[in-house]
Amino acid sequence: MQDQQLADWRTQALKLESEVNKVVVGQENPVRLITIAVFARGHVLLEGDVGVGKTTLLRAFTRGIGGGYQRIEGTIDLMPNDLVYHTYLGEDGKPHVSPGPLLMSGQDLSIFFFNEINRARPQVHSLMLRVMAERTLTAFNKEHYFPHMLVFADRNQVEKEETFDIPSAARDRFMMEIPIVVPPAHDIMESLIFDTRFHDVDQLITNVEQDILKFDQLNSFAKVIQENISASPALRKYALNLWLATKDPVAYGIKVANVDMKRLVLSGASPRGMGMLLRAARVNAWLHNREAVVPEDIHAVLHETIAHRLVFSPVYEMRRTEIAREMLSGIVNAVTAP
Amino acid sequence: MKAPKPLFAGLFVALLAVITLPAMADVTLPTIDDKYVSVQEINPTRDAGYVVGDKLERTIILTVRKPYELIKESLPIVGYEHRFRGQVSGIELASIDAEEEKFSDRSVHTIHLVYQVFKSGRVAKPAVLRGEIVKLRLPGKTEMRQYRIPSFNFRISPLSVYGEVNLKNELSPFIPPFTISTTREQQVFKIAAGVLALSLLGLLYILGARTWLPRMGGAFAKAYRKIGKLPDNEQGSQQAIEMVHQALQQVAGHSVFGNNVERFLQEKPAYQAARPEIERFFNLSRQVFFDAKTPLDLGMPTRDWLRKFCRHMRDCERGLTPEVK
Repeated sequence: MQDQQLADWRTQALKLESEVNKVVVGQENPVRLITIAVFARGHVLLEGDVGVGKTTLLRAFTRGIGGGYQRIEGTIDLMPNDLVYHTYLGEDGKPHVSPGPLLMSGQDLSIFFFNEINRARPQVHSLMLRVMAERTLTAFNKEHYFPHMLVFADRNQVEKEETFDIPSAARDRFMMEIPIVVPPAHDIMESLIFDTRFHDVDQLITNVEQDILKFDQLNSFAKVIQENISASPALRKYALNLWLATKDPVAYGIKVANVDMKRLVLSGASPRGMGMLLRAARVNAWLHNREAVVPEDIHAVLHETIAHRLVFSPVYEMRRTEIAREMLSGIVNAVTAP
Repeated sequence: MKAPKPLFAGLFVALLAVITLPAMADVTLPTIDDKYVSVQEINPTRDAGYVVGDKLERTIILTVRKPYELIKESLPIVGYEHRFRGQVSGIELASIDAEEEKFSDRSVHTIHLVYQVFKSGRVAKPAVLRGEIVKLRLPGKTEMRQYRIPSFNFRISPLSVYGEVNLKNELSPFIPPFTISTTREQQVFKIAAGVLALSLLGLLYILGARTWLPRMGGAFAKAYRKIGKLPDNEQGSQQAIEMVHQALQQVAGHSVFGNNVERFLQEKPAYQAARPEIERFFNLSRQVFFDAKTPLDLGMPTRDWLRKFCRHMRDCERGLTPEVK
């Protein structure tokens, strides 16, 4: 029964990917990673330049999985209550309160996009992180639940002025940090400029088949995946060695160019991070029609689930993306399995 | 008539003088103290094998300290032949050349002497360059001293032997052995030394790299040998797969997984011929260690297949092309 369920959902998941890839071209890997995050039920940090199609990507996913899509822009004057409600004077001259982006879709909220989260103040981060962790919010003397919500947050990595960097503890709440870059293929770049179908996003999104998945069943199905995809003792040992290597790369002989490895890592991956890594790896194994996780499944999600969790010495923070990538590649090269 | 007495007396004195003068010339003088004279000899390099007519050259460097000085007239004269018990020695001084170098406290006399052998015999016989006696004196005084230059012993060989010779009788310790040409032996020795040196170098190479030839003893060759010694059961198969993984890692210089076989083959194109088997190996590893449901048909027992795979990889390692079906 569960085998059939797994197979059916896999078909749907691959169809969802295919549909999203129709409207967001040249982003096959981010689409696969977001699919994994959707089925692993993990929040995602998006990293990328402006105008690369992050919003389109998320709207396309929302259309495919169903449920509500909400978005908010991070600004320096954004306050926590702005996420919850709006106040305004109505035509009758009386004050009115309407639900903010978090409450607007109610329990059907499926995807919440926090654009440029690092422009918002820490108190906004605090509220958002709580909602991410507990999927509840107390407002208007009532407990609001968002059981199906996934948060996608974008960090503007280019501009640093008037921004509040997300601390490592907050970064750790996100399952993945997915880089979204302009596709390098020239034909795709040309198509993005000249193909008129990309000019109207609303119209473009309608090309995605609606409600391919049932968003309100994703939580229960995610459990089915985690319970049915096994991890052998050899793989557990391999994952453990990977974890140890993130904590003490020197012991595994890992080197990064122009970096004093003894001073680099202040903190390796967290237990939560390693748990999320294995959750994502299980989903990847399921998408590849396997019943057990193999090292390649871990490799497929290693950078995206671990890199943003590593805490480096402040002197290396400016180069963290490059260093984290090189260090994790070194770990994959150094740690053997079996 | 009687001769007058003074005449007799005069005749007697004259007779005495005639008799004793030569004797006075050979009179033995007191030997000079060694602190006034030192000598350095440069003798012929060999002391045997001289035949009649050969010349022996000898240089004596005589240092005479003041106040004594050498009486040059006492140096031996050319043509002088020593006698021993009335017999001529057969060694004649052929030439003499003396140089004097004066210093404030001493004078150095370099005397080059050339002797010639005028003697032969049926067997080798000892001979000697006699120690010449030179005389020294104090300037302005009649008192003289003598100094004996050390002699030099050598052997005179016969020119040839006529008739039957009893070697036992004729053997003489003074005759040096005839020299036999050793050129061939020396060449053989050099070749043998060269072979030995090469062998030692080869041994050093073998001991250092543990390989007989440059491409032997590689990671897969070792894995091939080790797998053959493992038990033919599940545990043995697991160990064998781990060994192959280690060999792959050793060759690649990094971990090799199923998803980076392409990178491995780009880095090590020598293994390109074994690509299908490498991919199969990763399926086998996946089945044994991670996902038992991975479909795989090796067509033979796991250990046998691993040995065959290692042999093929060993061939690649040695630059050969394996016969991979």
